[in-house]
Amino acid sequence: MEILLQNIDLIIFILLIVLGYSAGSWAEKKHYRSIKQREKELLKMAVITAEGSFPPGQVANATLVSGSVVVSIDYFKRLLAILRNVFGGRVKSYESLVDRARREAILRMKEQARELGAGMIINMRLETATIGKSANKKGRVGSIEAIAYGTAIVKNL
Amino acid sequence: MIMTNVNTVPGKKIVEHFGIVQGSTVRAKHVGRDLMASLKNLVGGELKGYTELLQDSRQEAMKRMEEQAQQMGANAVVNIRFATSSVAQGAAELFAYGTAVRVE
Amino acid sequence: MKFTPKQLDENVNVSKTHPLVELMWLVGGLILLVGGTFFLLGVTTDWAASKTPVKVENWLGNLALNEFPAEQSPELKSRLDALLAQVPQDSPLHQYDFNIYLSDSDDVNAIALPGGRIVVFKGLLDQVESENELAMVLAHELGHFAHRDHLRGLGRGLGIAVVTALLLGENNSASGLISKAVLTFQVQYSQSQESAADQFGVDLLTTRYGHAGGATTFFARLAENAGSKIPYVLASHPHPKNRIEALNKRIEHLGYPVAKTDKLHPDLVLED
Repeated sequence: MEILLQNIDLIIFILLIVLGYSAGSWAEKKHYRSIKQREKELLKMAVITAEGSFPPGQVANATLVSGSVVVSIDYFKRLLAILRNVFGGRVKSYESLVDRARREAILRMKEQARELGAGMIINMRLETATIGKSANKKGRVGSIEAIAYGTAIVKNL
Repeated sequence: MIMTNVNTVPGKKIVEHFGIVQGSTVRAKHVGRDLMASLKNLVGGELKGYTELLQDSRQEAMKRMEEQAQQMGANAVVNIRFATSSVAQGAAELFAYGTAVRVE
Repeated sequence: MKFTPKQLDENVNVSKTHPLVELMWLVGGLILLVGGTFFLLGVTTDWAASKTPVKVENWLGNLALNEFPAEQSPELKSRLDALLAQVPQDSPLHQYDFNIYLSDSDDVNAIALPGGRIVVFKGLLDQVESENELAMVLAHELGHFAHRDHLRGLGRGLGIAVVTALLLGENNSASGLISKAVLTFQVQYSQSQESAADQFGVDLLTTRYGHAGGATTFFARLAENAGSKIPYVLASHPHPKNRIEALNKRIEHLGYPVAKTDKLHPDLVLED
């Protein structure tokens, strides 16, 4: 029993890591499934980063649409990132995080455009930021925000 | 794979477009680069280690974007944009995104 | 313009490595790195410690003594001098100006500080039952001095802390992880130092009294209270049972006789 009490901080650390890993990977799988399903549904909505050209009379309405999401980092990913800091190289644990955040933001933008009855989005832009009071400070867990915005075009029928 | 950051590929015609392609990478620096950087803090000048790091990251992000475009069946990517942000202490995310098209 | 969307199954932006595999690689690499640095530092500081003059050590010792409130004990000093008389003249031990103190604490412990200072805790004296056992404890401490152990331990710990701070900056979370890794290496090293001091101690004891009685009885008493061996994996001393085993091996190997021990002389007043 004494051994446990002496090393209690190490044990808490390991417990948090295990919790972070299990809960984190379950949440990630769930999120990816949802993303893939919604992407399939919204596949028909065209999104381009170019401006496109529209002959006069073809466009009924053009409005700004945007979608944003904030995804949090879990303990396990943070541990991997810290260890990476010693050796350098690709931080693989974060890659899935930012990928999820961006795809989710684009999906939300598309959903907003669909509500307006639009068929395509032009001049899309993506931004990522880290927010949360302690995002870049040492020893704190941060979160990633992704925002996608563009112009939704409702065509004249 | 042709890459441009204007709306079209100058001199060619776009016949088909496939949607957005994105490539991203998250890279961390290691202690060696950190050490050189803190030394450079004394004398000033270009931080070659970091410049190399970001250049490599940019290349990788573009390569991933190109791969995704190829999987869609495109042969050019237009209107490419880059963005950088720091996602964790000591790690930076770099991503490139554009529209995958087929030109003739 | 034709629009042909396509749902892609493969995700180029995510690496295929399993996170647990990556964790294994990173932790393995970290352990190798720390172990390698520790070994390198060890070799360097061992060499430096053997070359450090006693004067410098005395200065360090003055700094450390302020941590332990204790009084000089002439009774303990006379026993220490009797032991020192048995040490060969060319030993570095004779360059020290030994001061031995008795501290009020109930800890069962004795400490060797840089500069020839030994602090014996009252708790230890309460446990000792013969002159020979006391001599064994004192001889063990002398063994630490003869091997310059405290300097070596200081050098390694300091070296690691300085290198980590340089490379990673202070308060970096990675340095916390690295210090935990270092500590594990450090305790293994100090356990081997303790064993070496035990062996020096039993040799000196036998020279002083002509026999090795009393060398292991003190540890036997400690062993009764010590319990399992598991916490001792990460402790700075080896488990008492292991110490007794090692000592008995040496006594047998070198053929030391074992005779009756002398009872503790009443001049060592144990109540205050």
